[in-house]
Amino acid sequence: MRLYKKEGNVVQILSFPDENLEKGDYLLIEDESAGRALIVQVIDVQFANVPGVLEELLRSLPDGGEIIEGEDIDPLDIAPHITYIQDAKLLICKIRATIQGGGLIPSSSWLPSRSQSVIRRLPISTLLKLARVNGKRPILLGETKENSPLMIDASSLDGKLNIITGKKGTGKSHLSKLLIISLIQYGATVVVLDLNGEYAGLGITSDGKKNAYYDKVHVLVPSENFKVALSQLHINELMSILIHALHLPGTSAREFRRIWQSLKQRGCLTLNELGEAIRNWHCNQNVKDALFSRYYTMVNSGFFTDNLSEAMMLEEALIKANREGGAVIINLKNTSAMDRHMIVEYVLGKLTEMLTNWRLKAVFLFAEEAHLYLRETYWDDIVTRMRHFGIFTTFITNQPDSIRESIYRQADNIFLFNFTNEHDLEVVSRAARVDSETVKSIARELPPHHCLVLGKAVEDFPIVVRIKALDVKTMGETRLFFS
Amino acid sequence: MELSIQAENLSPEPIHLKLNRQPTIIAAVDTSSINLGETSRGLVIAIRGACVWKSNKKYNYLRLGPFIFHITEENKGEIYNSLLRIYIPNHRGAANPSFNQLPLRMANLLERWLQASIAKTLNGGIILFDGSLTAGTPDTPIQQLREILKSARERGNVVLAFAKMTSLRINGLIITEALVNYKPPYLVPMIDLKLKPPLTLLGDIYVAKLSTGNCAFRLDIDKEIPHDQRVDAVEKLLGNDLINCGYPETLRLAHILCTFTANEVLAMQHYVRRKHRLKIIDRPDMHKLLFGPFGKGEDDNETL
Repeated sequence: MRLYKKEGNVVQILSFPDENLEKGDYLLIEDESAGRALIVQVIDVQFANVPGVLEELLRSLPDGGEIIEGEDIDPLDIAPHITYIQDAKLLICKIRATIQGGGLIPSSSWLPSRSQSVIRRLPISTLLKLARVNGKRPILLGETKENSPLMIDASSLDGKLNIITGKKGTGKSHLSKLLIISLIQYGATVVVLDLNGEYAGLGITSDGKKNAYYDKVHVLVPSENFKVALSQLHINELMSILIHALHLPGTSAREFRRIWQSLKQRGCLTLNELGEAIRNWHCNQNVKDALFSRYYTMVNSGFFTDNLSEAMMLEEALIKANREGGAVIINLKNTSAMDRHMIVEYVLGKLTEMLTNWRLKAVFLFAEEAHLYLRETYWDDIVTRMRHFGIFTTFITNQPDSIRESIYRQADNIFLFNFTNEHDLEVVSRAARVDSETVKSIARELPPHHCLVLGKAVEDFPIVVRIKALDVKTMGETRLFFS
Repeated sequence: MELSIQAENLSPEPIHLKLNRQPTIIAAVDTSSINLGETSRGLVIAIRGACVWKSNKKYNYLRLGPFIFHITEENKGEIYNSLLRIYIPNHRGAANPSFNQLPLRMANLLERWLQASIAKTLNGGIILFDGSLTAGTPDTPIQQLREILKSARERGNVVLAFAKMTSLRINGLIITEALVNYKPPYLVPMIDLKLKPPLTLLGDIYVAKLSTGNCAFRLDIDKEIPHDQRVDAVEKLLGNDLINCGYPETLRLAHILCTFTANEVLAMQHYVRRKHRLKIIDRPDMHKLLFGPFGKGEDDNETL
């Protein structure tokens, strides 16, 4: 390999066929006289602009594209040299860091010698050691292209904002399950907003047996084993549901607050009493109608109960998870859009309350297709306010444009699976922790179950990993007609 | 190689041609040479030859080379005369061509050898040469070309030599541009041409316009072939080969296959460096140094 060109932080390297390099590989450009070395990553492999190749190809097609047959008497055996030159490749590489004095520095401003530099492949395992991508709580994500294991530190997800994205069927949920299991192994509290009921089998092996996490996975199904009694609710939690999920106007919200206080003073905070109170409350008919419509939505959701024995499951599960480590799966599969908003509003309110009161230390929140249930103002909350409370969110989506740009800009880690759509790649490439060329070039050609890891988890060295297999029961598959 | 001669007359009557589709093998020969670079002791050059033939509507080729030579002032005579002895066994005496002429001269020797080989192996075909049937040059002794043509005739072949460029003029105009507009394909014979000795014409010269368009070529046909057979040979060429811009495809392919591409030059330089540790010197081009964008450079003036 020979160094050909450097423009900004892009280096072009001439490579020959036997060197066999691919996108994602790391190279070390050592300049002994400068006492420094550049770490670069191949983001594209092109044919070298070898003069005469077009003539070479054209002359083998004389007549209607038919290949001319013949024999070459080549006594000096020049043909392999021709092939060698024809197949020369130009590696387009991004500078990732400089090694100087045994340490890594982010500088890319120096220029290694074109004639004296020695270029060699940098094994990812060596790179990971150099970058100190390890830690006390390793999570094995899978294998790199070189079949070496890729471990990230659980701490690199702690206090961080993460995004798992890629097109349908590439392995996003698989990776999020792997992260969830790994986090609960280290005693973390995980809450999953499970849109398709995919995570319910986390505690069960593929052949239906209990696995090591069985007791740590708590699946809550709204209206079944997850209900809330009005008497357990704080007025602020309920007002959040009414205003944000059920869009109750301000005047009606004020009347509702009065009704609630009246019922509370009388000690009869039940659904039935609430309905009666709205009916008998002296107020404008429009306000009364607005309150009734919300009341019936709440009643019909089945999420609210007057039976205290069937309520409180969330708090219990969270406290248990906080104590021993565990995942609380909120199965939103069979809930309507309106109910989903109510439930998520309640869950986030409850989490905030418990974290504020230090009843929970911190929570890793996994939110699948969050745009389907998260209200607008939460996006900003998540990147600013909530992480200070101790809610560290991981968004999982196959529609990258459903996540706000501000989330990408502040994401600490991105686990990127295959995307071929230009628009999707454009959206993801807005992430601050990586350049858009890397995203567009590598993600486009990722095979299924291969993920480009970007961000703090890999110390900002983008690495492609084949996600390891998990022995958990698959749930939430697409229902098929023809099988 | 094209020679500058003056034409006294051009036959006013063209020979109109028809396509003769009687299956006939069309074969063509061409060679090329290239200067791969300069070393501290001399030049590294390469030559290559190609034979292309069309039979049963299919093109086939045999390509020989590249043959790479490191020529120095000390070995140039030995290399050239060794090739001369191999390719022209009856040749007497030794030659000492100049450095710059050597690649072309060596390619010419290879070309004559290939022409002789094909004249001795093909039966009843049309053999296309690149250039003319002018003999008496250092690489084309009269006797050798005469023997090639004789071998071809003995096997029922007809040799047609197409020159891409000519300096023959009639009334001040290049012969290929001085034609009256007849409907192609046709031949216009040139008569009463004489060359200064030792140059000898072993063929009769025609201007051949084989297809529509502006392209006409000088065509030399073996003098010993009767007139009817000459016309028949050109008509068989028209009926059996593709004629693109008035030029036979078989000959075009031979030319393409022997010519070196830039990629091949790089590969040969790579070979020379790897296998023989010869370092090619990148000597500064004084034309470019002195005249900048107005200097064409020595390479541009080279004949490849």
